[in-house]
Amino acid sequence: MNNSPNLLNLSIAQTLDFAAPILFAALGGVMSENAGVVNIALEGIMRFSAFFGVWGAFVSKSPWIGLLWGIAIGIVLGALHAYITVKWAGDQIVSGVAINVMSMGIITYLLEFVFKTTGYSPPAPYFGSNNMRVHFTFLKNIPVLGAFSNLTIIVWLALISTAVVHFVLYHTVLGLRIRSVGENPHAAETLGVNVFKIKWLAVIWGSIFAAMGGMALSLGTLSSFTNAMPMGKGFIGLAAMIFGKWTPVGALIASLLFASAQIVQLLLQSSASGIAKQIPLGFYLALPYLLTIGALIGVVGRAIPPAADGIPYKKEG
Amino acid sequence: MKNVLKGIVFGHRERNWWLTFVVPIVSIIIALLVGAIFIWSTGRSPILAYKLMFGASGLFPGPYFKNHFAEMLLASSMYISTGLAFAIAAKGGLFSIGAEGQFLVGGIVAAYFGYAKPFANMPKPIHLTIIFIMVMLAGGIWGAIAGWLKAKNGIHEVITTIMLNWIAIYLIEDWLVIGPMKANVQTGVSGTPYVSETAKLPIILHGTRLNISIIIIIVVAYLTWFMLYRTTFGFEIRAMGYTLIYNMEAPKAAGVKVERRVVQTMFISGAVAALGGAFIILGILFQFPPVFEGGYGFDGIAVSLIGQNEPLGVFLAGMLIGGLRTGATAVQLAHIPKTFPSIIEGLIVAFIALQELVRYLILKLVNANRKKHLEKPATGGAANE
Repeated sequence: MNNSPNLLNLSIAQTLDFAAPILFAALGGVMSENAGVVNIALEGIMRFSAFFGVWGAFVSKSPWIGLLWGIAIGIVLGALHAYITVKWAGDQIVSGVAINVMSMGIITYLLEFVFKTTGYSPPAPYFGSNNMRVHFTFLKNIPVLGAFSNLTIIVWLALISTAVVHFVLYHTVLGLRIRSVGENPHAAETLGVNVFKIKWLAVIWGSIFAAMGGMALSLGTLSSFTNAMPMGKGFIGLAAMIFGKWTPVGALIASLLFASAQIVQLLLQSSASGIAKQIPLGFYLALPYLLTIGALIGVVGRAIPPAADGIPYKKEG
Repeated sequence: MKNVLKGIVFGHRERNWWLTFVVPIVSIIIALLVGAIFIWSTGRSPILAYKLMFGASGLFPGPYFKNHFAEMLLASSMYISTGLAFAIAAKGGLFSIGAEGQFLVGGIVAAYFGYAKPFANMPKPIHLTIIFIMVMLAGGIWGAIAGWLKAKNGIHEVITTIMLNWIAIYLIEDWLVIGPMKANVQTGVSGTPYVSETAKLPIILHGTRLNISIIIIIVVAYLTWFMLYRTTFGFEIRAMGYTLIYNMEAPKAAGVKVERRVVQTMFISGAVAALGGAFIILGILFQFPPVFEGGYGFDGIAVSLIGQNEPLGVFLAGMLIGGLRTGATAVQLAHIPKTFPSIIEGLIVAFIALQELVRYLILKLVNANRKKHLEKPATGGAANE
């Protein structure tokens, strides 16, 4: 970024950077909840993967290995959530809370155990460094498109994943099965769909997305793990999923909206003058959340989840 | 008669009602075992860790028991308040994660009415009464917003309570505490001013910090039970919770004003969570500090789940979590971070979620024993009740 890119491009690029973790979390929710399994463990999975990603990158000196570590822990936690909620028809909320609470204790413990530090890990190689970014130099000076000239691979993966999830859910047989399991598992079962298998698949796939979201924070935006991660991003992702009415494209729009509200807040804060300067910081920080509620009341209206969302499925007889 | 009593007391009339108690207890034991394996696998001594943790938890007699016991009850009163808040909403089929924000709202209101001039010179009982009324009103309104948005606009309470949590956090910590409610710089106090003497909760155990918060929360827990199981209002709330997956059609058909009940339930839930915020400000911190270590609201969810969303269960679970958190500082002597109890807490909740498995295993065990002793085929149901 030597040629002083214009403010618009920079803001858009920053918005995308902010949106990536939220979008990944939201996609994780979309996958899992379309198959009827509520996953409020997104926050906890993000915390686990943010740490394991940095750990892997630190040990191997490669962010790609870190990415694999993070995905692996995402699969493990997804499998745990599926084992509790699908295999044993346990309460999905309770299972999610369990993973979230455990993430607080286990990761703080491991942070101290592995890196001998409290608060944050030492820096590890990450996707945000200049040689790891995806460069499209020819786009650099074009308004709007210029924002896409220097993004991290994680942001691109988030955007591509949105398209993939949209395609899978609405244009493939597998997607039809996933949605049918989320709407009416008993009917799906009578049509020969293996409900349990579909649920397992969707939960684990969703958890991988959540894991990617965690690493978007620790390997994408920052190059280390801080103990405050993921700072509620998983819950905001959950909100983005509901805001986007359980669809991938809706999740993308919601994530961009939430992220841009944060960028607007940063811009306003730095460039404010006159009356705007008088408005306390707290209002700017609360703005994205107020916007969400406002938008839900005025624009989006009733958000209708998949019909069998959150109901444990038990075979009859 | 005996069965009816059982049904009333435990709220369960089905077979194997005793599992309601056994499942959490077994979950706690398994969680402690898994936690021990975790400590052992990182090369530290689980026996030493548990000895230190439970020794300082105030749950078992030992050195300095009086102090630990007082600290445990002090912490418990806050966990019980947020736990009850979650349980009340959960009984009505509402999944409220808003206790965190309501707790903060309660705290900041308690701080304000604690130091604000016209109140600061009143006699203690009147002053405290005013504070608690304002706290419960403010917390209740913060909760009722989510209920109202659900009733009127059909917005899921999960999303609104999450949003309201963040709004509360930012408005309080980045506006009120550093702005209008900031203490005078010359006094050298950061955060809000300290509350007046008349706003401090009376101590009930000499030589410790234990105050009347624990008595207040016992009364509130009893009132919650009474409301849920002895009033029409509570019956209607529970009816809503039972029929949640059928869109509450049955209570609607029976004439329950579901929308109004949703708002009222969220109001009560918010008011109870806000009590916890008042406890910490008026009994422990005496001001709203610039950096507030929260988390009571989220732990309340775990407390409620361990207590099976029943007032008595929430009370006992709150004591357990309060005890573990009190013992946490001692765990550091075994070179284990003081967040260790949250691993145990998470594991307990995980096994609560796995209660179908735990039930299945217990019943298998029990039935196998019966078979052996009575040589009679057992008829106990398995996982598919």
